[in-house]
Amino acid sequence: MNCPVCKEPMIILELNKVEIDFCPNCSGIWLDEGELELLYSIDKPDNELQKLFQQTTSSKEKSYKCPICRKRMIKTQFSNTDLILDRCPQNHGIWFDKGELEKVLTIKSNSSSEKILALLKDMFSYNKSQEAE
Amino acid sequence: MWELIQSNKRKSLILFFGMGALLILIGYVFGSFYNPESGGAVGIFFAIILWMILSTISYFAGSKILLAVSGAKEVTKDVHPQLYNVVEEMKIASGVPYFPKIYIIDDPSPNAFATGVKPENSAIAVTSGLLSTLNRYELQGVVAHEISHIVNRDILLMTFAGMMLGAITLMSEVFFRGLYFGGGSRYRSKSSSKNSGQGQIIIMILALVLAILGPILAQLFYFAISRKREYLADASAARLTRYPEGLANALEKIANSSYKLRSANKVTAPMYIVNPLKREGMKLADLTSTHPPISERIKILRALQQGVSYKDYQKVFEMIHGKKEKIIPDSALTESIPVAPIMGLANQNKSFSHVDAKREANDAVMKLNDYKFINCKCGVRIKIPPDYNQPIVVCPRCGTRHQLG
Ligand SMILES: [Zn+2]
Ligand SMILES: [Zn+2]
Ligand SMILES: [Zn+2]
Repeated sequence: MNCPVCKEPMIILELNKVEIDFCPNCSGIWLDEGELELLYSIDKPDNELQKLFQQTTSSKEKSYKCPICRKRMIKTQFSNTDLILDRCPQNHGIWFDKGELEKVLTIKSNSSSEKILALLKDMFSYNKSQEAE
Repeated sequence: MWELIQSNKRKSLILFFGMGALLILIGYVFGSFYNPESGGAVGIFFAIILWMILSTISYFAGSKILLAVSGAKEVTKDVHPQLYNVVEEMKIASGVPYFPKIYIIDDPSPNAFATGVKPENSAIAVTSGLLSTLNRYELQGVVAHEISHIVNRDILLMTFAGMMLGAITLMSEVFFRGLYFGGGSRYRSKSSSKNSGQGQIIIMILALVLAILGPILAQLFYFAISRKREYLADASAARLTRYPEGLANALEKIANSSYKLRSANKVTAPMYIVNPLKREGMKLADLTSTHPPISERIKILRALQQGVSYKDYQKVFEMIHGKKEKIIPDSALTESIPVAPIMGLANQNKSFSHVDAKREANDAVMKLNDYKFINCKCGVRIKIPPDYNQPIVVCPRCGTRHQLG
């Protein structure tokens, strides 16, 4: 799968049985819908995942195309934070820009966003420590 | 089971000549349709050539073609160890002297088939969806069913039938395309003479009927000799695994899956353990279905409470089917050793993790597509696609720099 921003091939990172697509070139992150479902189905079967995203029109950021279906992604607010992510209109997954990842790593998580944030913080702990220096 | 193997070889011959005759008839009629004077002979000529080519190809490369058309890729043990182990177990249990080649089809829809001309070069193909939805005991049931097709020499029949069905379907499609571009009517108006007019109308109707019914006829033909085979393979699987519930659960999961098999078509559909082209509520599809109703197969397997010998299966089949019909050949029915089903495996099924099974199946597909796997010491697994062109990859968790290549 190619990065929606710089079109370079992305690598896949697996930690605690969840996979993340990562672009080493621009540090963007793709979370596949199937992986998000896995993350949320391990112990909580309810529809917590859907509550995480609210569609927003306030963003003027450039939007990218979904790396799976090539449809233009829609801007989505992530779990009542000021994070604006790209989400595929056909629910193939969500895209975090590099800047968005940095924001993720500093956010105080509420209960439903906790899982995604915890995963990302753990996975990118080296990148984070690098930036602190 | 010798008599069964003999009878299957006989049926392969009937199928071989029957389908050939149908092909020649279609060739004659289609040829006459386009050119009443000499078209029939030309049609027959091309049909015979096509039939000979197809038979040769079927025999020498039929299974390779069917596997390629289905998008199946051959795997080794390290691609999916559990699948390999299950095939090995069932191979030993069934006593086939040859190890079938194992293939995986990258498709979320769960299904499986076996192909090959002889047991020596047989192959079993399963979808990645099958691997990610079935637990070990269910997978055993499916693999045992497919191994039984190999042991019973069903695979030659299936491979031939698949190729012939493909040819007839293709010919009727070519015919319709020709009709669409108006070739037929133009030639006919030029060459028409008064006394051939009436015969021409008959040929025209016959050609249309054959173009529509040919593929269905071929499928019915196949159905006539294939239905019993599915029951028999189920019976053999129950006996091999001694756990009929495993196959019953697997069939249920396959039937209930909401995914559609992408690579399935009219030609390959009859080979699968569950027909991937089933459409609910369609009577015609029921009629030409190459498989017995799946609910009935499950019911029979679940009713095998007393024993799992061929005799038990035959008894339960008649009980559920409501009428006497021989599914199991006589020689197998004389088997006197009672084979009791294994109980209590249901508890072990609970340790099955959907996440693990899905991860394993996805990894298998990635390995098939030449991904590189790096296990970083920090616990992160890095999977690198073949088109990744950087010389190193840095683990984002611990900062380790991994050299590639
Ligand atoms: Zn990128
Ligand atoms: Zn998409
Ligand atoms: Zn690491």
